[in-house]
Amino acid sequence: MAETEMEYRVELFNRLAQTCFNKCVDKRYKESELNMGENSCIDRCVSKYWQVNSMIGQLLSAGGRPPM
Amino acid sequence: MASSNPETESNNGSSIAKEPEKPQIEAFRMPTMEEMRAQEVWNNCAVRSVASGVMGGGLGLMMGMFLGALDNPIMQEEMTGRQQFMYTMRQMGQRSWSSAKAFAVMGLIFSAAECVVEKARAKHDTTNTVVAGCVTGGTMSAKGGPKAACAGCAGFAAFSVLIEKFLDRHT
Repeated sequence: MAETEMEYRVELFNRLAQTCFNKCVDKRYKESELNMGENSCIDRCVSKYWQVNSMIGQLLSAGGRPPM
Repeated sequence: MASSNPETESNNGSSIAKEPEKPQIEAFRMPTMEEMRAQEVWNNCAVRSVASGVMGGGLGLMMGMFLGALDNPIMQEEMTGRQQFMYTMRQMGQRSWSSAKAFAVMGLIFSAAECVVEKARAKHDTTNTVVAGCVTGGTMSAKGGPKAACAGCAGFAAFSVLIEKFLDRHT
């Protein structure tokens, strides 16, 4: 039970980091620190991802069938 | 998901004559809360624009003093050496103060505009520099009417793009 939850959390974090990195950070970068544009992009990306994730989780857990 | 490659050196002293020492790869550590807060300070638009304004003021001061010293004084009838010196000092002071104000305002507006635009777009581009340069040039030449504002906008935008490209020339 706790194991599956932990796996789920780890998977969520990895996918979140991967997705937002691919979306927000330009592949040819010159410095190691996040500049402001990337920072705000990551803020928005994570917030949206989290919101969508929780919304879908609620939809899937509430009723058996996803409303199509 | 940090991965550190262990260095495997075969240390038989006979074969390796003079191999340059490989740089040690240190483990990656996550930033602490203090480091993150210190970085967050510079993400604030107000802090950045004030700092840029101060730097612009300093630059204007230097430039004004230099140019004011080069300016030849309007020679009144007789001035002793000391009076000439005082006159030159006052000229330099005035020039440097007005130049410092102008540059400080310029730096402030440019930095504030660039910060706001970059935060809104969530992208790090040259478009931010262009828009910020246009805003700065436009507000600085706004007194001359709309045509002067457009010319100032275009000119300053081009100038700031050139400066940005120059400062980032090492890809």
